[in-house]
Amino acid sequence: MAESSEGEEEGKLTGGNQHLVVDDDLREMAKKAAWSVSSCKPGNGVLSLRDDNLDTYWQSDGAQPHVVNIQFQKKVKLQLVVLYVDFKLDESYTPSKISIRAGDGFHNLKEIKAVELVKPTGWVYISLSGSDPRETFVNTFMLQIAVLSNHLNGRDTHVRQVKVYGPRLNPMPRQPFQFTSTEFITYSTVR
Amino acid sequence: MYRNAIFMCERLCAEFPSETNLQLLASCYLQNNQSHCAYYILKGTHMAQCRYLFALSCFQMDLLNEAEAALRPPNESSAEVPNGAAGHYLLGLIYRYTDRRQNAIHHFNQALSMDPLLWAAYEELCILGAAEEATSVFSEGASLCIEKQYMHDELSSKSSQASSDDHIVVPNRSLGVEDVSPRQLKDMHGYDVRDISRNYHGAASNQPLNGGPATFSFYNTPSPMATQSQLSGVAPPPICRNAQLNGPNLRAFGADSSPRSVVNSAVPGPRRKFVDEGKLRKVSERLFSDSRQRRSMRLGGESLVNTNSSASVASGNGTNHSSKYLGGPKSSSVVSRSVTIRKGQSWASENSDEGAHYDIYDDSRLDITTSSSSPRGDARSLEQEGAARPSGPVVVSGSRVAAGASEILGLLMILGEGYRLSCLYRCQDALDTYIKLPKKHYNTGWVLSQVGKAYFEMVDYMEADSAFSLARLASPYSLEGMDIHSTVLYHLKEDMKLSYLAQELISTDRLAPQSWCAMGNCYSLQKDHETALKNFQRAVQLNSRFAYAHTLCGHEYVALEDFENGIKSYRSALQIDSRHYNAWHGLGMVYLRQEKFEFSEHHFRLAFQINPRSSVIMSYLGTALHTLKKNKEALEMMERAILADKKNPLPLYQKANILVSVENFEGALAVLEELKEFAPRESSIYALMGRIYKRCNMYDKAMLHFGLALDLKPSATDVAVIKAAIEKLHVPDELEDEDAL
Repeated sequence: MAESSEGEEEGKLTGGNQHLVVDDDLREMAKKAAWSVSSCKPGNGVLSLRDDNLDTYWQSDGAQPHVVNIQFQKKVKLQLVVLYVDFKLDESYTPSKISIRAGDGFHNLKEIKAVELVKPTGWVYISLSGSDPRETFVNTFMLQIAVLSNHLNGRDTHVRQVKVYGPRLNPMPRQPFQFTSTEFITYSTVR
Repeated sequence: MYRNAIFMCERLCAEFPSETNLQLLASCYLQNNQSHCAYYILKGTHMAQCRYLFALSCFQMDLLNEAEAALRPPNESSAEVPNGAAGHYLLGLIYRYTDRRQNAIHHFNQALSMDPLLWAAYEELCILGAAEEATSVFSEGASLCIEKQYMHDELSSKSSQASSDDHIVVPNRSLGVEDVSPRQLKDMHGYDVRDISRNYHGAASNQPLNGGPATFSFYNTPSPMATQSQLSGVAPPPICRNAQLNGPNLRAFGADSSPRSVVNSAVPGPRRKFVDEGKLRKVSERLFSDSRQRRSMRLGGESLVNTNSSASVASGNGTNHSSKYLGGPKSSSVVSRSVTIRKGQSWASENSDEGAHYDIYDDSRLDITTSSSSPRGDARSLEQEGAARPSGPVVVSGSRVAAGASEILGLLMILGEGYRLSCLYRCQDALDTYIKLPKKHYNTGWVLSQVGKAYFEMVDYMEADSAFSLARLASPYSLEGMDIHSTVLYHLKEDMKLSYLAQELISTDRLAPQSWCAMGNCYSLQKDHETALKNFQRAVQLNSRFAYAHTLCGHEYVALEDFENGIKSYRSALQIDSRHYNAWHGLGMVYLRQEKFEFSEHHFRLAFQINPRSSVIMSYLGTALHTLKKNKEALEMMERAILADKKNPLPLYQKANILVSVENFEGALAVLEELKEFAPRESSIYALMGRIYKRCNMYDKAMLHFGLALDLKPSATDVAVIKAAIEKLHVPDELEDEDAL
């Protein structure tokens, strides 16, 4: 289950909205979701996870595992979770083992992915797809990111930013497939 | 110079409070874009021109109710609308923006009948979809109407010995201040000549719409000499444009009117008239000092010249013609200019009688101060034909007027018809009409961007792009229609060109909604919908009456899945312009996504009724019908769409979809084969074919096509779907939910 270390860093990618490595057909899904954390130190709460600011971070303040919960209003397809963590800045606060769970609510979360990070310094991509092409997306109401352990056995953890991605809507509703060629796309909408 | 004018005027009003003075002050404020000031000082005034100016300031401050009450007092329903054609035009706009379409149409028609050269009124009628054919509006009848107005002007001017004060003076005079004012008021003529207002006699627009300075109000022209009366030729151009546009927009006139400027061989004439007039004035000044003043006051009293007085014209140099006050002509250079011109010309040709009067002026030449000269300079450059020249024998002027008028009308007829047709979305007809224009008019920014728009509505984006590019070359400063250009580039996915266009537009004019629309389209093309939305919202802030900006906001909201705000934006766009089919279409799309199929079909149908030639709308209407299970109608609609535009592959694809759903697999495959020829690299074609083969249990072919589809790099979702389909190839189809596959 625990796969070996996920990408060691990728230096910080461009700021702003662009994650250079994120495909065009993915978009950030969690803007309208409800975010919560298991515990936090005052001043380093859940807002720091979503503020697009890599200097602010969430710091947990309780027993392990520390969790971040993301609840959506309706079932959504998710494909990718991206975290910004930095060993150089956070040392023993840097998460090491991470488990991602999904389900309808707190009562039936199941683990869908587990990774171990080794000295990461930047954006870490965790794909939620399974090996089966039918499992490219996870269709769920809720996602939970659990930090099971930290580097150097630290108790609390720092996470600087979290983003969750899913596929874009088909720009043309009620079509079985999306269009790829210019001829089709040019005529596909009235703007 | 406005500040000077305003200051002086305020002193004037303090010294001699009266409505006429207030009117002058208000016009200064309006010129300086301070409509709130004008609003406060004109509140409660009764004079016709005052009410008109008040309505204008209310309109600019968005207080439409008050504007309407000023122009049309509720108790006096039979009262005449002040300021003639321009007043009706303003009233029409108020009705349009408060959603009373019939009234608006009525008033625009009135404005047109009073002044057939009021193009803006015709434009509004076209936008409302209620314009009559251009041939009937800009017809012989109109020509006669214009002639009549000239005649009227001439006669009245002749009879009234308009004092030398010339109209420039008139406003001053009318202020009833004899001494100080005129001189100082001259300074006020920061007035832009262009803002000539019309006096309430109405029309007399000899100057077709040109912002031209011309403006000498006709009654000024007359000089003691009957022959001279003819300045009227240059009656104030329709104020309508000016009325709304004050300030910066006036400059736009240059651009706008360019396509319409009609070269008139007659032009030189009137100019000269001005020159003479100046002299005349001088003369009359001397000769008729008292009576002149009285007269001017009388004249001023009757009908105030303008709101944005043309008087300004004269003032260019701020000299008063009443040099006696100041003791010396300031505009000596001006004077000399006029003198030389005088000498240089061959008046004879224009006005045979003039010669006889020349000697009278000779001694006056020296002190000619009449300001007119400077305005004349402008007048010369801006003058348009319509100006009737000569005063002399009425007959002469009559025929000249007629000739000028019919040329202009001929031009307006073509332009008007073209515009009307393109508003009715009969785009091919519109294009054919525009082709009839003479080359020099066709190759102007306005016409070329109308041509571009027509191609856009016909979904011929390549042609539209080339037309718009030519328009940019012809008038790089003009932003008209550039929002549509940016949409065309968006459709063609030309992101380099689009970002270049957006940059250029922003640097040309940061305060124009079109520039921000282009910028927004640029971001939207790169899928950055939030920034695009911000840009479109900026465009809305800059001009909340710009319907397209609202529609684009709506599109972005929908892309961000914020359907509620999207619907709101579309509705605002429709409130401004209920014939904006893009907004109807957008609403249809939203309902389609929300699966409210009847609503969606209703809205697509409305869009279709407005623009029955767009194959894209037809194909969406067909899709909506298909969701309502009205497959037969859906197929018919698709056929129509296919016929309407051979280059549009979508209706064919949709047709195939519908055929699949009714299980007509052979038909669907045939259509798809045809499509393959057309767009060989479109992955969805192969994917759909793969699916069909699978349904028909032809697994090898299905496999082949799925493979081809995957090779063409579809989106991630589709990759997942197709791969899943491949896995389940030999398993009977489960019920898939609509969305997924």
